Amino acid sequence: MRGAVRSLVGLPPAPGPIEASGRRRDAALLLASRPSSAIDTTFAALGEFLAPGDVLVVNTSATLPAAVPLDGPAFGRGGPAGLLLHLGTELPGGLRVAELRTATGHGSRPFVDARPGTLRLAGGGRAELLSPWPAVANEGPNRLWVARLDAGSGGGLTAWLAHHGRPIRYGEPAEPWPIDAYQTVFATEPGSAEMPSAARGFTAELVTRLVSAGVVFAPLLLHCGLSSPEAGEAPEPERYRVPAGTAALVNAARAAGRRVVAVGTTAVRALETVAGDDGTVHPGEGWTELVVMPERGVRAVDGLITGWHEPEASHLELIAAVAGEEMIERSYATAHALGYHGHEFGDFHLILP
Amino acid sequence: MWRRGPIRTVGGMTQNRTALITGASRGLGLALARSLVADGWKLVIDARTAADLDAVVAGLGSSAVVAVAGDVASEEHRLALRRAVAGLGGLDVVVHNASRLGPSPQPPLDAYPLDALRAVYAVNVFSPLRLTQLLLPHLRPGGRIVFVTSDASVEAYEGWGGYGSSKAALDHIAAVLAVEHPELSVYAVDPGDMNTRMHQEAFPGEDISDRPPPEASVPGLRELLTGALPSGRYQARALVAPVEAVR
Repeated sequence: MRGAVRSLVGLPPAPGPIEASGRRRDAALLLASRPSSAIDTTFAALGEFLAPGDVLVVNTSATLPAAVPLDGPAFGRGGPAGLLLHLGTELPGGLRVAELRTATGHGSRPFVDARPGTLRLAGGGRAELLSPWPAVANEGPNRLWVARLDAGSGGGLTAWLAHHGRPIRYGEPAEPWPIDAYQTVFATEPGSAEMPSAARGFTAELVTRLVSAGVVFAPLLLHCGLSSPEAGEAPEPERYRVPAGTAALVNAARAAGRRVVAVGTTAVRALETVAGDDGTVHPGEGWTELVVMPERGVRAVDGLITGWHEPEASHLELIAAVAGEEMIERSYATAHALGYHGHEFGDFHLILP
Repeated sequence: MWRRGPIRTVGGMTQNRTALITGASRGLGLALARSLVADGWKLVIDARTAADLDAVVAGLGSSAVVAVAGDVASEEHRLALRRAVAGLGGLDVVVHNASRLGPSPQPPLDAYPLDALRAVYAVNVFSPLRLTQLLLPHLRPGGRIVFVTSDASVEAYEGWGGYGSSKAALDHIAAVLAVEHPELSVYAVDPGDMNTRMHQEAFPGEDISDRPPPEASVPGLRELLTGALPSGRYQARALVAPVEAVR
């Protein structure tokens, strides 16, 4: 059944954040998909599809400017120049997943000749590439590495990145955007390599309106690792934390017959990681390697707010697990017809199967 | 019956015809949408609130319905409708059904607040004209434009000066559009009194259950959508026998 989802055609990418054109984030388009209907509206109308007591599970991870330029050539004198180091998931023991990339103006493209060794980074930082990640290599050249990172003097990682890092970008985007464009209204704990973008449409005003209407917000944390835009790799392990309060809210909602709607595939991954076979959610934290596939389905989640993804993205498998493949295919066809835009600054998709 | 335009019938079903109906979450718009979906039409429909639309579209049970939430008085929404039509690859029929009655009860003209009158004209006159402007390039050869009007546009009823004059303006827009676009069929259609929410607003507190349901006006509208009638103003229930007789 993988073929059906993978044969979907991605939507044209939004050229930039909607606020860059002076519009509110909740003015972005929202397609509300149900088994027998799809309503074209804007994100601001989200509340019309929710009932009092429904729970929105939101990811509070903030995006790091996790692309750091190298200071000089890589691997010592005579090595390749113009490279960036992308910092991904934090691993136990102070290690971190990292990817060496070639800078392309405001973006980056793959660099395939990485090898173990030391890299000097902007602002006095250093990284040592230790070994390929994961230990069992994917097909083709190795992209990801386990690195030991030294953020230089003072301040720690977040402060160092604030000065010397920039948002991770792929390909050759025409313009840079400030790190604020990559933060959601829920972002409180820095740690994502890439933006958990499904919550980008929320404004403080919209959240207030939803709360006043009786919609419940339940926070969790999942720091997004490095995606794999060039390769159909499995998602890497990611750090997560589901607080006891959130587990209680989700379980109470299910018991009361309310819906649990995950905001983002990251929220699905975290919640399903701590869900028992009967859908009961337990508090927990650590690294999750769970890959939510249609064959597995979902246990704790009744609906999903997400963006529009590339067909090769593993996100689509997860979305198909929530919605079913037929509904996904129809939604993508409708979104195409309606001129929706995809990618990190794109339009939104509410899935209520 | 001789039919014109790109109508293809297979086994009695109309194939690949696309219609846009405004104000389709209840009343006449919903009744027409149900009728067209049952015959295999592709539809673009709208209503002001997403929740109303959501319930309606789920009830229609067709994946060939694109529902766009918004107010026809908003240019942003009208552009979204055009986007939907372009996405479906063009249009055979536009039914301008969304209407605004105005204050209930309707005030006499000597006390009609002009802001309220502007709001009535925005929905009943300017919106259908603007939407027509936006959709004309997407209408296929033999396309049809239907403006839903009222007998209040020709009869002088007490209290109906606001709504009635807006529908009179709409009638004239339909008539002039027909002259300016002889390649299209342009109709103004009076559905007659119906047991709808708008009709109840026009007669607050009165029992209107004696009026026919909106479904009784649908066969007449269907005749305009697929028949061979020349452009002009029609009364829906005078066009064909009641729905029971047809079925």
